[in-house]
Amino acid sequence: MNTCLTRYFDAIEYAPESVIHFPAGLPGFEQERDFVIVEQPAHRPLLFLQSLAKRELCFLMLPVLTVDAEYRLRMRPEDVELIGFRGRRQPRIGRDVFCGVFLTAIPDETPTANLLAPIVINLQTRIAVQAVRPEPAYSHCHPLSTREMVMAC
Amino acid sequence: MLIVRRREGESVVIGEGVEVLILECGAGKRVKLGIVGPREVNIYRKELALTREQNELAARAPADRLTAACKGLTTANEGAAGTASVQPAVAKKKVKFI
Repeated sequence: MNTCLTRYFDAIEYAPESVIHFPAGLPGFEQERDFVIVEQPAHRPLLFLQSLAKRELCFLMLPVLTVDAEYRLRMRPEDVELIGFRGRRQPRIGRDVFCGVFLTAIPDETPTANLLAPIVINLQTRIAVQAVRPEPAYSHCHPLSTREMVMAC
Repeated sequence: MLIVRRREGESVVIGEGVEVLILECGAGKRVKLGIVGPREVNIYRKELALTREQNELAARAPADRLTAACKGLTTANEGAAGTASVQPAVAKKKVKFI
């Protein structure tokens, strides 16, 4: 087991094989390549995507299906290949890949999720990409309304 | 908004030194553009520009408001989402954000 310092939970232990690697970094954080996912039972299904290199960098993330049970993944072919899949077939959420969305909140506004650019992780290799959709079919600031989400599930 | 009609092979010039060429008006309503501009001008797809902006906001977002917004959220779809397969590390320290 390895140890890293986190933004919210002090030191945590993680298995080396659970490291999530983003070969291209994240838009705006291109230098940040390696992360671990942290969860705390009390906050499920919320996940914390913690940078290994920068303690203060930690994104809050939800599995996309808990925000929109009908969410359809659509990745550009270059993103599909970047995480190790071939051809034009879209990977399947939960079977081939994990798919999560970043959360944000600005003062006085409902917190939102970025459905335009999900985090897609290859479940076999843990190679990941923030797959910015080729078309604006989903919002980059989808309001998080608990009531709607429960209905959608 | 300025609206200009152009055909394949034609172009428009924006400010000093940025030229947008219409290379191809293909099927499926897709247009192929060629953009010529100075090296110091960054060119992104709009979706990518929005994502950069959202990521910067997300990195600074107050965790207490986000955890509060997720309270009561169903975990019914976690299995389908593959959360367990990414093997999250479990934080032992209990943090109350609110």
